[in-house]
Amino acid sequence: MTVAETGQPRVRVKPPRDTGQHDAGWVTYLVISLVTLGSVFPLYYTIVMASHTNAEMSSANPPWVPSTSLFSNIKAALAIAPLNKGLLNSLVVSSVVTLGTVALCTLAGFAFAKLRFRGSNLLLAICIGTMMVPMQMGVIPLYMLMARLGLAGHLSAVILPTLVTAFGVFFMRQYISSAVPDELIEAAYIDGAGPFRVFWSVVVPAVRPAMAVLAMLTFLMSWNDFFWPIIVLSSQNPTVQVSFQSLATGYAPQQSIIMAGTIYGTVPVLVVFALLGRQIVGGIMQGAVKG
Amino acid sequence: MTLASDTALDAPSAASGTPARRRRRSAGGLPGSRVGYVYVLPFFLVFAAFSVYPWLDTAWVSLHDVRLSTYHHQTWIGLANYRDLFTNPYFWNAFRNTFTIGVISTIPQLVMALGIAHLLNYRLRGRTFFRVAILMPYATSLAAATVIFLELFDTRLGLVNWALHLVHLPTVDWQGSKWPAQVAVSTIITWRWTGYNALIYLAGMQAIDPSLYDAAAVDGASRWRQFVHITIPGLRPTILFTIVVSTIGAAQIFGEPLLYHNGKADGGTQGQYQTLGLLMYQQGWVNDRLGLASATAWTMFVIILLAVVANLLFARWRTVRELR
Amino acid sequence: MRLKSSGSRAGMSLLGVLTVASLAISGCGSSSSTAANGGAGTGPCGTTADTTLTVGLFGTMGFKENGLWDAYHQVCPNITIKEDDVEQSADYWTRLKTRLASGSGLDDVQGIEIGFVADVVQNHADQFVNWNSVPNAAAIKSEFFPFKWQLASTTDGAKTVGLGTDTGPEAICYRRDLLKKAGMPSDPKTLASAWSTWNGFIDFGKQYEASATKQSGSHFVDSAASIFSTAVYQGKNAYDDDQGQPDVANSDGVKAAWGYATTAAQAKITAGLEQFSPTWNKAFSNGAFAALACPTWMMGYIQGQAGDSYAGKWEVAPVLPGGATNWGGSWLGVPTASKNKAAAIALVEWLSAKKQQVTMWTSPNQGGHFPSNSEAAADPAVSGATSAYFSNAPVGKIFGDIASQMKIPPIGLYDTQIQQALTTQLTNVETKGTSPDQAFQDALSAIKQVTG
Repeated sequence: MTVAETGQPRVRVKPPRDTGQHDAGWVTYLVISLVTLGSVFPLYYTIVMASHTNAEMSSANPPWVPSTSLFSNIKAALAIAPLNKGLLNSLVVSSVVTLGTVALCTLAGFAFAKLRFRGSNLLLAICIGTMMVPMQMGVIPLYMLMARLGLAGHLSAVILPTLVTAFGVFFMRQYISSAVPDELIEAAYIDGAGPFRVFWSVVVPAVRPAMAVLAMLTFLMSWNDFFWPIIVLSSQNPTVQVSFQSLATGYAPQQSIIMAGTIYGTVPVLVVFALLGRQIVGGIMQGAVKG
Repeated sequence: MTLASDTALDAPSAASGTPARRRRRSAGGLPGSRVGYVYVLPFFLVFAAFSVYPWLDTAWVSLHDVRLSTYHHQTWIGLANYRDLFTNPYFWNAFRNTFTIGVISTIPQLVMALGIAHLLNYRLRGRTFFRVAILMPYATSLAAATVIFLELFDTRLGLVNWALHLVHLPTVDWQGSKWPAQVAVSTIITWRWTGYNALIYLAGMQAIDPSLYDAAAVDGASRWRQFVHITIPGLRPTILFTIVVSTIGAAQIFGEPLLYHNGKADGGTQGQYQTLGLLMYQQGWVNDRLGLASATAWTMFVIILLAVVANLLFARWRTVRELR
Repeated sequence: MRLKSSGSRAGMSLLGVLTVASLAISGCGSSSSTAANGGAGTGPCGTTADTTLTVGLFGTMGFKENGLWDAYHQVCPNITIKEDDVEQSADYWTRLKTRLASGSGLDDVQGIEIGFVADVVQNHADQFVNWNSVPNAAAIKSEFFPFKWQLASTTDGAKTVGLGTDTGPEAICYRRDLLKKAGMPSDPKTLASAWSTWNGFIDFGKQYEASATKQSGSHFVDSAASIFSTAVYQGKNAYDDDQGQPDVANSDGVKAAWGYATTAAQAKITAGLEQFSPTWNKAFSNGAFAALACPTWMMGYIQGQAGDSYAGKWEVAPVLPGGATNWGGSWLGVPTASKNKAAAIALVEWLSAKKQQVTMWTSPNQGGHFPSNSEAAADPAVSGATSAYFSNAPVGKIFGDIASQMKIPPIGLYDTQIQQALTTQLTNVETKGTSPDQAFQDALSAIKQVTG
């Protein structure tokens, strides 16, 4: 759904909503606003902490508003830690992981939901089963493997293990099985479309909202992952979480500098959110076109 | 995005007309085709190399006495690690805590997520903003979240006790006493994951055919009845999914209780909120006993498997009962 | 010496530049020349080729902050240094262990902390350059405090895995104003005699608690752990036997320290705070306690937590009840897998040499890095240092005296975890009223989980 397709700037009309749903009442707004407040508050408080010293934060009346030293603290954080390099690397890692996960998991999810092939149940069970394995334990053999492949210290060492997730496959399978009616697929088959054509022009458009949700969750998971990256990467080639590691120096790390760095490292996520959030709404719009 | 798909979406779906009917996975009229393998192959290739292999290696390690410092000196001890585990009071303590914290955190979390998703599905101004906002806890770095929750639950100077004091209730020892500490840890978990699940429900809700609601509205069904009789059944696969994923997640909880004790892996001074995931972390990464930690990992796997199967059986039983 | 951690960054970098300039003027500061160690190294830099060295550090080392990288670049323009940091030493150790196990991904220089130096010595000595076999080994060895050299060496003394950077001689830091308010003596000389034994220290605490005028809600000492973690290393043995094998049940140090700590806990002279928890951090400025065991690096910690408004309220007493001991400190080692061994050895020798250790201690941006190089500790710039923040206490002399008397019992593989288990149980004695015997049994069973 791009501007290019129509060749003219898209006029944003407000179509009636898909779910035929009602307008929200004031109670809804109130509840949603409270939930939002609770969700956003810690981030806000992080900004407050990023602009005050430890001593100020632990005084009898701790401050509730950020001060102007936020930007100088971010500057200081940038001087200490390779945050920009970390951001760049994290963007690469998270984007590749997100694209890979969404593509491969949608494919596999579709197959598990709609195609009959021998052993598919067993394969799905294996897939879900692996979600149950606590992954921290695989870290050591994984490192040995990466060292043997000569990938230790490279971004691919972080990308490869998370390129596909059982979670993603399971999620897409559940969604496709309920969102894509079999009749739709059969109709496409009767029209003479091959399985890939069906996938591309019937399934993908229908599961767009789920793909956007999976993309959002995967991007975040990848962005915030630190257990494995700290082991396999070094400060010379860090992801953002690894670059945070350089923020605390000296026996008395300055909380404000650490928090300022954290804020700086979270901003890109918010941007990605805004873009993907549109996508989700875009997916809904698809449904809305039919009025 | 082609025109074909738009018209395709128009096609009324007969299947979802009877939401209570459980559709079997293989009910589709698709040709039983080998092509399925082609779809799942790329996934399984990557998966086998980077997930399954380390996991099998873990199984091998669990049969040895291994420490990371002397990784290449692995002594075969058969099932001794498992024996050690089942006679270990720390393991049973963690097992109980995992269950209670899992229940206290998962059930309210999913119920709240469903409610929030339902509200977000209304016609709202600024819905994108709200949708993004509820995912903020999942985006907040763990370090920042910890600092904040430790502030809130600080027994001496925290906001929570201050509020309790204000309304003349007795203050609570949120770190030292068992149940308050478990509630506090569960609160962190709930805070972090509710938005995540709400988003998943929201995606599921958008797959429900809107004409169903229209028909119900014509029949004069109240919003509540629409929610119970259309939304919930339509969400069944999604709800099942979140239950399974949350069960798995709850059994593996380790970050929140770790941070709640300032990064110490003992789960409180008396282990009052040490979970299985945290016990495994402590054995492997703090106490340097990889063999024992691997045995814990595999034991956890079996426990989770049983819990998930129980969930699925329960879901199936419910469905069967409804169909009667 | 001014110890000021919250000054403006600009001011610090200016001072850094000045430090560098003064180093550059004085030329190469290394007192020991280096020759090749299996490489084609020549001259003081180990190599004349352009080389990039990676240095693996954790959050407490402070070379960059004190301008030493820039200074080294003046000495050796062909060497570029890249840091590889991990914030928490525990995470750093996990990573280092993983890399040692796989034999790949190691940096040219690796920091080693006292918490895991015994493990490196016992399990990985062959993977590090042995400092007894470099040229000038005897001369280098003679520069360090004997205890420091010994901790990084095998029991037979044949292999030494790292050269010392900083060390943590301990004294007692206290709040002058709180003692005054409670009507107690507060000048360092009087306190030095009152606190010369743990029993004296605890009796003083009881008087403090009994004072009618003390700040309400305030206690004498921060935690029983403060007493325990200090006193345990004053025994002939701490957590390990003479071979470095864990043996808690038969240790004289543990027995005595447990006695002092539980006595203090039951006399209610401790605030019962867990060290390094957020509540403990806040207590530096809210007066929840008046004194704590204070290694040199703790001075920097106190300033960072309490802030400038508490300057002059804190003071250091020239005494450690029960005798001199150490808390913390690090070494630098060179993995044998390093491709730039000669250059890495040259860098480590330069960093741990007298001049650089003096710089680390006297730099205005310092975190209390007291020299482990005895010649540096004896340097007037170090021994004459005073701390404005700590009421102009003669910190150089106080800690220098303690450092020169230090004897350290054998250390072992799991000291960190064992100490953690014991101090955690002490918290239960303080806050939950657990009986000391029960708490000790609980600690022993937790320790068994580690030692296996």
